[in-house]
Amino acid sequence: MDAGLFAKVLVNGLMSGGIYALVATGFTLILGVIQVFNFTQGHFYMLGAFVTYAIVSALGLPYPVAILAALLAMAVLGALMYFGILQWTMPSGFFHTLLVTVACGAVISQTSLLTFGFNDRVVPAVVTSSLSIGGISVSGSRLIVIAGAIVVMVALYYFMKTKMGTAMVAAAENRDVAGLQGINAKQIFWITMAVGCGLSGIAGALIVPVLSASVVMGTGMFIRVMMVVLVGGMGSMLGALLAAFIVGIIESFAYQLVGELSLVVIFVLVAILMFFRPGGLLGKPLPVPGE
Amino acid sequence: MSNAVKIAVGVLALLLIALPWLVNPYVLQVFMLTFTYSMLGLAFALTIKVGLPRFDLAAWFGVGAYSTALLMLKGGFSFWPALLIGGIIAVVLGCLIFVAAMPRGMMVFLMFGMATAMTIYQVFGTVRFFGGWSGTGVVPPPAIGPFTFVNKPELYYLGLFFLTINILVYHFLYNSRIGRAWNAIGSSLKLASSAGIDVVKYRMANVLIGNFFVAVAGGYFVAYSLVAAPANFGFHHSIFVMMYVFVGGLAHSLAGPIIGAFVLTFTPEYFRIAKEYESIITAIVMILIIIFMPMGILGLYDGRIRNRLARIKWLRRESRSEPEVPL
Repeated sequence: MDAGLFAKVLVNGLMSGGIYALVATGFTLILGVIQVFNFTQGHFYMLGAFVTYAIVSALGLPYPVAILAALLAMAVLGALMYFGILQWTMPSGFFHTLLVTVACGAVISQTSLLTFGFNDRVVPAVVTSSLSIGGISVSGSRLIVIAGAIVVMVALYYFMKTKMGTAMVAAAENRDVAGLQGINAKQIFWITMAVGCGLSGIAGALIVPVLSASVVMGTGMFIRVMMVVLVGGMGSMLGALLAAFIVGIIESFAYQLVGELSLVVIFVLVAILMFFRPGGLLGKPLPVPGE
Repeated sequence: MSNAVKIAVGVLALLLIALPWLVNPYVLQVFMLTFTYSMLGLAFALTIKVGLPRFDLAAWFGVGAYSTALLMLKGGFSFWPALLIGGIIAVVLGCLIFVAAMPRGMMVFLMFGMATAMTIYQVFGTVRFFGGWSGTGVVPPPAIGPFTFVNKPELYYLGLFFLTINILVYHFLYNSRIGRAWNAIGSSLKLASSAGIDVVKYRMANVLIGNFFVAVAGGYFVAYSLVAAPANFGFHHSIFVMMYVFVGGLAHSLAGPIIGAFVLTFTPEYFRIAKEYESIITAIVMILIIIFMPMGILGLYDGRIRNRLARIKWLRRESRSEPEVPL
């Protein structure tokens, strides 16, 4: 493997790692704070990509506006999902809520299949030039995805430091005690849903100029998120971030070697990792709902 | 089991045996599908008993189907040993895959199960040995001696046979020591382990027994569809299995999944809903059921009908065995 190919594969890995990180932290946030296994996380990622496509191609607005629109649209959809469905099923228990998100996922994926069809939708690349460092050229649009993911992660870090973010962490730690401290649980819940789903939407918006939008992208993403959360340890957002980049880079190199079977390579590695580090890379076992 | 349930089961059994004379082959075909999905639903209800939701059932269904098909096509086995070996393969593979995930609790099992489902699906489609995305070639029909199962009624009875054996084994297990241990694990993990129940071992046994019967269902699927292709074992099939169990009623491990599979397979057929809209409507109905009747169809029975039946004198269970103690 020469240096040029190595750099290309590495950048690909970092790019998918950044995207996995966004979706996986959203998933972990929702699981930790409101204890809902959000199966629709991958579907919101797919919808985010399509919203971006619609705004850039159909309305002709610039790409940054489209990113914001995808973020807002998915945040609103996430909050609506909480108010419309989740708040009614959460008293029935963890399994019922899980099934409801699964059913929502089925509605979203089938509806978008009927609306958009199987064709891939292409959004023109924002940057067509490529960056050249020491004779090795790196695609500019991929670097923008990495940069965008890092910006969103930093913004999320500062959001978690605000009063609202601290309240979320408190609610994740112990819901009853958080309530006694005057934290409004319902408000925390819908904001968490909005933030978690918004993260998925922005991930979809960032990736769409590089990989075109397709209706099946959500399921594949969700399985990667499962792997990332298993590697990073449950309930640990920093672990999810680290694990996302590890999984992304390993998958990128494995894809170079074995093609479509790269998923199997990651799966086997995750299974082996669970023998040696049962708590994931960084995580401490989260108090699991229902047990 | 009260008298009302005994009568209902007896009538149902007679109806099911007489069915090939009553309906046309198309309905029998739908019944065969229902039997297959019922076996998957039963396995889901089995693991729900120990507090584990499964999303990998379609994958093990596929493992059973592919093992049976490939052993018959490439190994030259006949149907019955191939079916048995398929079940054993599903058990051994499940043991290898879940041995690390099982001690880490429900959430890891759930996520790892999802990852397993997608990975096995990908392997079926990509590795050339399994015949690619279009599936294996045409599998010969099952046979006992010179008698082959090719017509609809014969295949229907074959499915009825597998489902009955499945129900009987599960019924026996639920009423044995193992079943009581599973119940204890399901109601409280801490209590079960403090009572000396090895939670990990019992959960593992539960999952592997489920794997075996799901693989048998896969073999039966091959017996009537005569081909195994990845499209039949995709992730959304696992989701449908979960819906059967919840629609039927979570509290009933045997009747719930079967009733759910029956309702969810026949209703779209009856209303002749277009295939594209079927899963949307099913999912929306699912959400409404979860919100408005969380215990499923049999939850209605528990809540209202059972009390009314108990008031009818001749259906009441004879419980004169306990002598009344004068105070």
